[in-house]
Amino acid sequence: MAKVQVNNVVVLDNPSPFYNPFQFEITFECIEDLSEDLEWKIIYVGSAESEQFDQVLDSVLVGPVPAGRHMFVFQADAPNPGLIPDADAVGVTVVLITCTYRGQEFIRVGYYVNNEYTETELRENPPVKPDFSKLQRNILASNPRVTRFHINWEDNTEKLEDAESSNPNLQSLLSTDALPSASKGWSTSENSLNVMLESHMDCA
Amino acid sequence: MKLLKPTWVNHNGKPIFSVDIHPDGTKFATGGQGQDSGKVVIWSMAPVLKEEDEKNENIPKMLCQMDNHLACVNCVRWSNNGVYLASGGDDKLIMVWKRAAYIGPSTVFGSSSKLANVEQWRCVSILRSHSGDVMDVAWSPHDAWLASCSVDNTVVIWNAVKFPEILATLKGHSGLVKGLTWDPVGKYIASQADDRSLKVWRTMDWQLETSITKPFDECGGTTHVLRLSWSPDGHYLVSAHAMNNSGPTAQIIERDGWKTNMDFVGHRKAVTVVKFNPKIFKKKQKNGSSTKPSCPYCCCAVGSKDRSLSVWLTCLKRPLVVIHELFDKSIMDISWTLNGLGILVCSMDGSVAFLDFSQDELGDPLSEEEKSNIHQSTYGKSLAIMTEAQLSTTIIENPEMLKYQQRQQQQQMEQKNAVIREAAGSAATAPKVTSMVNGESLEDIRKNLLKKQVETRTADGRRRITPLCIAQLDTGDFSTAFFNSIPISGSLAGSIMSSQSNQQLMSLDSNATNSFGTSKPSLEPLAASIKPTDDAINKDGVNATSASAATPVSSSVLTTPSKIEPMKAFDSRFTERSKATSGTSAVINTNQTAIDRLKDPNLIKENKPKDILESSSDSDEKIPIAKPLALPKRKLDLEGEAVEKKKKGRPRKDSRLVPVTLTVQSPAALASDKDATCISAPALALKLPTPIPQKSFTLQVSSDPSMYIEVENEMTTVGGSKLSRLKCNREGKEWETVLTSRILTAAGSCDVVSVACEKRTLSVFSACGRRLLPPIVLHSPVSALHCTGSYVMVLTTIATLSVWDVHKQSVVVKDESLQTILAGSDTTVSQILLTQHGIPVMSLSDGKAYCFNPSLSTWNLVSDKQDSLAQCADYRNSLPSQEAMLCSGPLAIIQGRTSNSGRQAARLFSMPHLVQQETTLAYLENQIASALTLQSSHEYRHWLLIYARYLVNEGFEYRLRELCKDLLGPVHYSAGSQWESTVVGLRKRELLKELLPVIGQNLRFQRLFTEYQEQLDILRDK
Repeated sequence: MAKVQVNNVVVLDNPSPFYNPFQFEITFECIEDLSEDLEWKIIYVGSAESEQFDQVLDSVLVGPVPAGRHMFVFQADAPNPGLIPDADAVGVTVVLITCTYRGQEFIRVGYYVNNEYTETELRENPPVKPDFSKLQRNILASNPRVTRFHINWEDNTEKLEDAESSNPNLQSLLSTDALPSASKGWSTSENSLNVMLESHMDCA
Repeated sequence: MKLLKPTWVNHNGKPIFSVDIHPDGTKFATGGQGQDSGKVVIWSMAPVLKEEDEKNENIPKMLCQMDNHLACVNCVRWSNNGVYLASGGDDKLIMVWKRAAYIGPSTVFGSSSKLANVEQWRCVSILRSHSGDVMDVAWSPHDAWLASCSVDNTVVIWNAVKFPEILATLKGHSGLVKGLTWDPVGKYIASQADDRSLKVWRTMDWQLETSITKPFDECGGTTHVLRLSWSPDGHYLVSAHAMNNSGPTAQIIERDGWKTNMDFVGHRKAVTVVKFNPKIFKKKQKNGSSTKPSCPYCCCAVGSKDRSLSVWLTCLKRPLVVIHELFDKSIMDISWTLNGLGILVCSMDGSVAFLDFSQDELGDPLSEEEKSNIHQSTYGKSLAIMTEAQLSTTIIENPEMLKYQQRQQQQQMEQKNAVIREAAGSAATAPKVTSMVNGESLEDIRKNLLKKQVETRTADGRRRITPLCIAQLDTGDFSTAFFNSIPISGSLAGSIMSSQSNQQLMSLDSNATNSFGTSKPSLEPLAASIKPTDDAINKDGVNATSASAATPVSSSVLTTPSKIEPMKAFDSRFTERSKATSGTSAVINTNQTAIDRLKDPNLIKENKPKDILESSSDSDEKIPIAKPLALPKRKLDLEGEAVEKKKKGRPRKDSRLVPVTLTVQSPAALASDKDATCISAPALALKLPTPIPQKSFTLQVSSDPSMYIEVENEMTTVGGSKLSRLKCNREGKEWETVLTSRILTAAGSCDVVSVACEKRTLSVFSACGRRLLPPIVLHSPVSALHCTGSYVMVLTTIATLSVWDVHKQSVVVKDESLQTILAGSDTTVSQILLTQHGIPVMSLSDGKAYCFNPSLSTWNLVSDKQDSLAQCADYRNSLPSQEAMLCSGPLAIIQGRTSNSGRQAARLFSMPHLVQQETTLAYLENQIASALTLQSSHEYRHWLLIYARYLVNEGFEYRLRELCKDLLGPVHYSAGSQWESTVVGLRKRELLKELLPVIGQNLRFQRLFTEYQEQLDILRDK
């Protein structure tokens, strides 16, 4: 079972100008002392069309993590506007917070982000070349989308491997973990749906 | 009888495999299949029992749900004391849950469901051992053990006092083990498996008592579970699925001779579960009818694959009631309420039924006292030694006692009220969170968290944040976070509040909040599945132009018109792992290095003892020294390699290893040498090894305050003589001095530092480096040196021991030979210790430890690892609840922290109670005497209180009286009195005052209580 549960994420400094750093106050709970650090990442999705516009705003190690409830503020600089396609500068995009333990991602929290001009004039007649300094970023904080993944939390990797080879059930379970698909509840239904959609789009 | 099917108890249509009612009857747990994992749910019992509670929306029905099991949960069981819940599932795990009382309701982050967890149940242990699905778990009477069985054909017995310790793995079944039951007396455990056998195992030695196969010969392995049950009087064991004349039965097995003459017949398909009512009943006495005192009888419920349930009384030939068509699928589990009148049944069809009986139907339940009398008469001992019910019948004779009892009740009430007030207070003040962490309100902390949190850079330039710990968890039995209750509840309130404020900020979106977290029907046809996403977008208010469902949304914060396609793409981005394939390969890489990293230290650990072993068998004296010396070096090298290997080297506590390894070397060398010498020359000519002079060495004296000694031999030559330097560093302050001969060994405490030199001299310095004595010349070279406080202890090579008090400049122990304790055996000294009071203690290799009593000039045995008394003694119920872990001192160090409660528990049932009492008393008295000899006042008080509590619990008035008498002493002063008013620095009458409330807890001792209370009052008034 997961040793770390995220209790809450509070979006600080929201809404704010585009160039302000992102700030998330993360509260999580850990049921056992962790032998290694957690790695948190903020990923800004520059364009929904392609992952190549994803920007990892920052990644931090968090540790040591003894059993208990902990909180920290994860601050990361605003995305580099140069890496955002002009067409996607204004409008809705996504920011992701991911956490990995021993290289395995076990939680992904996604927020919708809306970038828009505050001035009515600009809003009505947006410039062709986006003016990022006039953009306001608004994170839809009330609506986090949380996806959790089963990972191997144990230090004893070897033992787990033994267990895997001895039991095909678990193996299949783990393999579904690695590529979340069928048998994943709500995330699955959407997931398969979206995989579908993407392939559909590729065709079009 | 009333029958109810509470439809709200369900796992969203998924099968429910197990149900169990909490011993206090206020809640019950169900286990089964969840959405994509196993699921355990805790429900409130009140809405099942009372219709008005069911309708009252303020009474929560679901208290907590846990999705932590990776696969279907096959069994949930509450411990008898109701503190723990154990669950076992197809993921091969057993999880043990405990309620985190200090955390209030909370929702799961990111889930939109309004169903908050009213209670927080936290997994405190995960038990891994089974290599297949866990089918059944069972707590032993008294909760000493937890048993689990699995499709891996084994039964595992866990030490419930010390999870995850395994006491035994019962192997013998050749098929999937699907059910377990404990003998109510605790002598046996029975298991039933698909291999067509039922096996009974002894708890004394965990060996097979008997294997019953005959009634199962015709059985096919087609039932999901085989939950068997033992009758509460212990006489009968009833199996699940058995066959008699090709008809399915539940076989009755008599304890006496394991005879199989009777069975419950009538079900049309295999019996899946049998559950005895916890109560024993007797016939209701009806007025008028001249009923003879009838035999007590038991009541048993049987559930079957034929979807029907039957309830039997052992005094009747036919079932009391049979209910057909109760479910759509097989019955999976049954649980009785503790009062024996209610029963919950669950089924594979995902529903639960509740049956409510009246006393007229079942009979009069015997009281616990009567039940224990039956056990007493049948098995010679009672399970409930001193029940509260027995106590309450005693009359209070004395007003003082009454007052005392009332006071106690009042205090309890006050405490309760305080807790309630606190809770109410925190609820009322929730908007202004007043909780404190380290004297700072959580709000303040949160405001400045970004500035205050510790952020460092790792060697490779990455940011590393040390998170602020806002609450500890009570993962163990003894809640360390007990006093943290306020901050935690506060923190929760804080986080709720913050999320609320966010909610307000986005209040226009409020109707969209549940668009994401909710589960969507996963079976929907793919063509139609595009639609829900559209809806989701609409709800998000992104697409303002969409007119369909967006009327309230159109005014939302996000008003920019935007494309629909990207949104769909975003959806995938939330859930999909970016670059999943490359990610996994990376995982493998890091794991590989992780393994490498893990392996290295292990290698060292494995090597080390082996080397020492080799050296100890070697009689040549030089080698053992050389090897341990070489080892730390190698270890350091390896450590260095390991560091290099780390791909992303994070600062670890590597540096800490250095002093540790260095301090280790000397005892290791000593021990190995001693082995060699003692084997070659036992008895008379005792010779202990001398430390070989080294060029330089470092010794850590203490870590808090940090203090270490550095020795550098022959570092300079002044006028033909070589000088050695002694350097001492204490919390950064250093002093150093020089000696004319080589330093062989050194030792230090916070008060003194002493060094032994080559010419049989011993020098003693103060903590600041001032020489306290001219060099002491010893009759033979020093083998080991030790300092504690102002005491210096020397063990010479001819096995004599001396202890001096340097400050008082007096001798405590003078040239005492170790011959007494070492002679005649191959034992060696494995550890030496000097207490704060200058009492030397020698731990020997045979597990015994002796201390020298200077006033009696005797060696006293204070600890013996093989002591059977310690293993048999059971005083757990006399342990003070909070203090238990806090007792530390020389006795605890010598005897080791290894709690033998597991072994205690293993013997709990195997010997007569009387013997148990005697051994426990003897053990506790030994402990008190040992603590006294070691002059460890803290431990003396600790054990004295346990002893007194045990005497009180078990009702030993004679010894209790003697104890009190000694503590009180003469009330009226007399010249001839030999009575000492203190013992190891504690005032005896103060101890007595501490003892009296303990004595007052048992009304049987009210006269003793009054007597001594009065005398203490007299003394006080004087």
